Amino acid sequence: MRTIIHHQDATHLLTRLDARVKLLCALALLVMVLSYRGLAFPLLVALLGTGLCLGLGVRVRLLLARFAQPLFIVAMVLLLKLFTGGHDPLFSCTVAGLEITGYGDGLREGMQIAARIVGAVSVVSLVGFSTTFTETMAALAWLRVPRGLIEVALFAWRYLFVLYEDAMVVYHAQRNRLGYAGYRRGLSSFGTLTGALVIKAFDNSQTITTAMVQRGYDGTMPLMRHKPFRLAEVAAALLVVAGLGVLWRI
Amino acid sequence: MKAKDFDLKFDEGEDVTAYLDISRARRPGMLRIVLTFLLLVLPVPAHAMHIAEGILPLPWAVAWFAVAAPFVALGVRRLNALSREDLSIKPLIGLMAAVVFIISCMPIPVPTAGTCSHPCGTGIAAILVGPLLSILISAVALLIQALFLAHGGLSTLGADIVSMGVVGSFAGWFAFRGMRAMGAGLGLAGFAAGLATDWATYLTTSVELASGIRGDAPFLPLVGRIVLAFIPTQLPLGLLEGAMTAGMVLLLYRKRPDLLVRMKVISQQEGVAHA
Repeated sequence: MRTIIHHQDATHLLTRLDARVKLLCALALLVMVLSYRGLAFPLLVALLGTGLCLGLGVRVRLLLARFAQPLFIVAMVLLLKLFTGGHDPLFSCTVAGLEITGYGDGLREGMQIAARIVGAVSVVSLVGFSTTFTETMAALAWLRVPRGLIEVALFAWRYLFVLYEDAMVVYHAQRNRLGYAGYRRGLSSFGTLTGALVIKAFDNSQTITTAMVQRGYDGTMPLMRHKPFRLAEVAAALLVVAGLGVLWRI
Repeated sequence: MKAKDFDLKFDEGEDVTAYLDISRARRPGMLRIVLTFLLLVLPVPAHAMHIAEGILPLPWAVAWFAVAAPFVALGVRRLNALSREDLSIKPLIGLMAAVVFIISCMPIPVPTAGTCSHPCGTGIAAILVGPLLSILISAVALLIQALFLAHGGLSTLGADIVSMGVVGSFAGWFAFRGMRAMGAGLGLAGFAAGLATDWATYLTTSVELASGIRGDAPFLPLVGRIVLAFIPTQLPLGLLEGAMTAGMVLLLYRKRPDLLVRMKVISQQEGVAHA
């Protein structure tokens, strides 16, 4: 949860860029990365993405935490493809009486997938680090994502940290009373914790609705209004995407 | 001797070893030592439920979006219909999405794999608000996780919604309703729902992963290998999620049966009888 919070540098060019432009660029880059057959382009995008993240002032530790899970998946995919996904033997060894063969073509395929993962994660991380949640949701609404989904996401985001704090209070109270000593007791405590969260969610939804109705809520949430597109921003974004598109073609 | 007397003697500085039956003391078994070691040195979270960003090639990513889209649309339609009758439904679904997000971020140590994994949480949501709204809840939780935690991804959002949202929610809901119809208690039905949600999600994820990374390899053997690779984590995790879901449903029944009546999980008569 701590890795969610990143205080953005409001003066940075990328942070000030229109969220719709950023999202469209990211989608275009994702399409290019996913459809590329090879290593060079996704790795170039990964380098660019992580470089820009560091330029935004994102701490290396936070960036590593963000990449931890995808890198774990990368390791799994590489192992799976190396040992099971090919026909062209690269090496062979015997471990505990079992003959294990690594395949060259499997490794190549695995590396291609790994490059795709690293490239795509860096693009999405850059969007996440440089755009606030409300801006992203407004941009998604502009892209015609269903309004109901956006409104639910806004409610979820607004109360996520409140509920998380409540969950941590209950968790620490349980832990201090040896609520997680042993599997059986731990499971029972975790069940109680989730049950308590659900009860809080139900109760809070009632009080929130009452408070919002008193302030004129009629079932629809207002979204952030977009400023008109700035020509310079759109032109620069098109130029970057076109440049990367040329590299993708090569 | 009572524990209180033992404590008193210890606090007064007396030698208490005479009261201990050392002959019955046991050293921890080798297995326990190995498991503890594994848990200490390999605390890598294995978020096996989510397919990582970029893992699916473009055609498969688009195909899974196409599969997920009608279910999300049905969820939004149901939300809008309910919202016209009850204004608190959107805040409720939003808060439930936050709960599912928090639950699916909590690491649970899985001893057989020597790693941590996380529950889905969609089983709980499906029991309480039904499968269609549960799909919306998981879509929102997955979107936030993709954007701000790099768990799952934007390009794999469709595939993740299908496995965790659509298949997970329907499996959990059918298991719960089916068990209740057969006369099972709330705890057992909750356990079945948690188990079915977890295992169905993991099986669907295996199929999606195999479709994405297959290359020239034959499809079914690859699915089998991925299933085998995930078994050490997901098999016990399904049992843990089942136990957790049962605990949660039983807690709600003990503390707030009115909520279960309101969400039509138990009948009015059952709620009155409990009160």
